[in-house]
Amino acid sequence: MAARVVTVDRRSLRARGGAFGARAFAKGLSVTWKHFSRNLMGWVRGKPTVATVMFPEEDVVKPAAFRGMPVLVQMDDGKERCVACGLCEWACPVDCISIDPAETPDPIERHPLRFDIDMGRCMFCGLCEEACPEEAIVMSDRVEISAFSRGGIVWNKEDLLVPQDQLARRLDWIRRSYER
Amino acid sequence: MTERDGFKKPVKVVIDGREIVAEAGEMLLQVALDNGVEIPHYCYHPKLSIDGSCRMCQVKIEKAPKLAISCNTPVADGMVVDTKAGEVVEARKAVMELLLLNHPLDCPICDQAGECYLQDYSFGHGRSEARTTSPRRKGVKRHPIGPRVVFDQERCILCRRCVRFTHEISKTDELRVFGAGDRSRIATSQDRPLDNPYSINVADVCPVGALLSADFHHKRRVWFLEETETVCPTCSNGCNVKIGAFRNRIERLVPRRNDEVNDTWMCDHGRLNYAFVQDETRLREPAIAGREAREPVPVAGPIDYTRDSDGREVRASGPSVDEAIAAAAASLRAAVATYGATSVAVVLTPTLTNEETLLLARLVREELKTPHFALAVPLGLSDDFLIKPEKVANARGARDLGVGPGDGGKDLAGILAACASGEIKVLWVVGSDGLVAAAGLDAVEPAVANLEALLLQDTNRSALTDRATVLVPGCTWAEKDGSMTNHAGRVQRIRPALRPPTGLVADGEIFARMASALRGEAGAPFEPRVAFAEVAKAVPSYVGLEWARLGSRGLAAGQGA
Ligand code: SF4
Ligand code: SF4
Ligand code: SF4
Ligand code: SF4
Ligand code: FES
Repeated sequence: MAARVVTVDRRSLRARGGAFGARAFAKGLSVTWKHFSRNLMGWVRGKPTVATVMFPEEDVVKPAAFRGMPVLVQMDDGKERCVACGLCEWACPVDCISIDPAETPDPIERHPLRFDIDMGRCMFCGLCEEACPEEAIVMSDRVEISAFSRGGIVWNKEDLLVPQDQLARRLDWIRRSYER
Repeated sequence: MTERDGFKKPVKVVIDGREIVAEAGEMLLQVALDNGVEIPHYCYHPKLSIDGSCRMCQVKIEKAPKLAISCNTPVADGMVVDTKAGEVVEARKAVMELLLLNHPLDCPICDQAGECYLQDYSFGHGRSEARTTSPRRKGVKRHPIGPRVVFDQERCILCRRCVRFTHEISKTDELRVFGAGDRSRIATSQDRPLDNPYSINVADVCPVGALLSADFHHKRRVWFLEETETVCPTCSNGCNVKIGAFRNRIERLVPRRNDEVNDTWMCDHGRLNYAFVQDETRLREPAIAGREAREPVPVAGPIDYTRDSDGREVRASGPSVDEAIAAAAASLRAAVATYGATSVAVVLTPTLTNEETLLLARLVREELKTPHFALAVPLGLSDDFLIKPEKVANARGARDLGVGPGDGGKDLAGILAACASGEIKVLWVVGSDGLVAAAGLDAVEPAVANLEALLLQDTNRSALTDRATVLVPGCTWAEKDGSMTNHAGRVQRIRPALRPPTGLVADGEIFARMASALRGEAGAPFEPRVAFAEVAKAVPSYVGLEWARLGSRGLAAGQGA
C-alpha cells in the first residue's frame, strides 16, 4: 500500500475547533436549560416531569443497540444455543470467558459443560457477540454485576442463560446490523 | 540440495522463477515443499504412496499441454514451473468448490477446526460464497468406526490417505472406499471395527475432520493448546511427540516427524498414556511414616494446590520435600553406620532422564558405596514396527550410564531375596511401577515386609505407596527437562510442558539434595544443561554430544565426533 501524506493546517483546525467547541457548549447548555425549564414548569403546574429516574426502584427501557452484560441464548427446550466452539473465548480481548466443551447425546453433538464469564473483567465490548457463529451469546441490557465475593462476579452458565424470547429485540437488531 | 548417494543425478528446475537443484526422480510437490514453495495439496502425504486423487496440487509446467498434478510429476532437467499462474488459481478454486459442494457447515463443532486443510485452503484458494442452493448430501455422523476413532462421513473428501495408511503402514487393511461416484464412502470391510495398535494415526493423516481421535473428541479447541516438543515415555522406541496442554493439563499427544525414529507415526497406547500425569493416583505430597499431619496419606486431586475458604493458596500440612529427603538420608546413613554399606540397596525404574540417572549413579557409588544397585525394567509385547518390549523410555540410557550391580552387588532378584532375609535393611526404590512389573508383587511383598525402612520416590500411587517409610513424590516426564536415550542409542531432548504440582521438584533435584544431605554440606542445585555435559563425558559413545545440538530430533550416540 502506498503511503498517503496528509498535510494538516493546524491553525485553521484550531479556529474551526474553537467554533465547534462554542457550538457544542451552547448545545449542551440548551439541553440543560430545556430540562430545567420543563421540570420547573411541571413543578409549577403540580405535575413534575423529571428526566432522571429513581434507580434502582425505577428503570428505563434501553435501546436494542445498548451493550450491557453478555448473556447466553437459551432455546425453547431449555438448552443453550452455544456449541462451545470457543470463538468468543478467543475473541475476548480481556480473556474473561472460560469454556469447557463436552459431547452431548443430542443431534447437536457439542455443548459447553462449563461456561464462565468473569464480569469483573468484562468490558462490554461486544466482540464475543460478533465472533459467535451461532447467535448464542448476545449483549443484554443488564448492567448490575455487584456481588459480595470475588467468586460471585464470575457468572456461570446457569446465571448467563436467558430465554430467547426475552432477547428477541437484540437478536433482531444483530441480524439487521449484519444485513447492512 | 546436492547429490546424496552418488546414484541420483542432480537436475535443475525453475519454480516460480527460482532455480532449484533436485534429484532426478523426486516429485515436484516434495521438491517445492522442501524449498519453501507452498503448493496446496490433500491426498499427498510424504510417508504414503502417491494417490493423485484430489487434484489440488495442479501447477503449470512450461511446454506441457495442460496443468499437471505436482505430487505425481517427477522433476526433469530444465523444467519451468509456475505455481501461481492464472489458470492454476482458477483450477484450485474449482477443486475447492467441488470439495465443498457437499461439505457440512460443521466448523463450530468440528475438532479439526484450526488445523483443517479445508479451512486453510478455502480461505487461501477458495471462493467465499457457495453458488449452489441444492441440499447437501447426508452421511453418517459421529460414527465409532473403531474403539479409538470417530468417523464423520459428511466431512470426508475421499483423499484415501486413511485407506493407504491401513494398507501400507499398519498393514491391517480395515478401511476401503465403497461405492462409486457420488455414493463413494469410506468404511471398514465387513464392518469390522478399525482396531489396530496404530489406529489413531488415521486421525492425523486425515486432512479434514472426518476421522478424529475419540479421546480428544470435543475436548479442547486446538488453538488453545500449548504445544511442547518432547518424546513419548511409554516404551524405549522414543517416538517424537508434541504434548498439547491447556491450563497445566495434558489434553493430547500427537506424533511429530522424525525419520530416524518414528517417521510421523506413534502407537495408540503411547498416545493415550498420559492420564497418570494428572489423575487422582498422582502423588502430590511427601510423607514420613509416624509423623502426625500425614492425613490422609499422599492425597491426590485434580488441583495441584490447596486453597482455603478465602481462596488463598495454602501450604500442605504434611512434611516438606526437604524434610522427607532429610528423613530418608538419615535412615540411609544410620543403616550404613550400623550394618555397613551392603545393608542398603537401590532399585531404579528407568523413567528418569540421563542427567538424573547420572546423579543417582554417582550418589550410589560415591556416597552410599553400596554395590546393590539394580535396574527394574518392565517388559511387554512388541512388534516389528514401533512398539518395543521395554516399557520405559530410558532403559538404554540407564545401562549406558552404568546403572547395575557393582563389585559383589546383587541383581534385582538378589536384592529382593536379601531384603526378605533381612540382609538388606534399607531399600530405596526410585519408581515402583517397574519394580512391581519386573519382579512381580509376590516377590516384592515379602521383601518390603522385612525392611527397616522403605524409601520410596515415585510419581503415582502403587501397591508400595502405603508401605513406604519415607515417600518423596517426584515429577513425571511431562514436567522435566533433560535427555533420554532410545533403544537404538539416539539421545533426544524431553521438554517440560507442565508446571509440577506445588512444592515438588524434579528427581534430579531430589538426588542433588539427597547428596548434600548425605555429605552434610550443600552442593550445587540440579541443572539439566550442566548435568548433560557430565553425561556426555561419562559415556564413551556420547562424547562430543552437545545439549544445544540435540535440537528437536536428537542425535545418535557416536554422532558427537
Ligand atoms: S463483551 Fe468483550 S470483554 Fe466482555 S466477554 Fe465479550 S468479548 Fe469479552
Ligand atoms: S462463539 Fe458462540 S457458540 Fe462459540 S463458544 Fe462462544 S457462545 Fe458458544
Ligand atoms: S473438516 Fe474442516 S472445514 Fe470441515 S467442518 Fe471440520 S473444520 Fe470445518
Ligand atoms: S476419512 Fe479423511 S483421510 Fe480418509 S478419505 Fe476421507 S478425508 Fe481422506
Ligand atoms: S496432492 Fe496431488 S492430486 Fe492430491
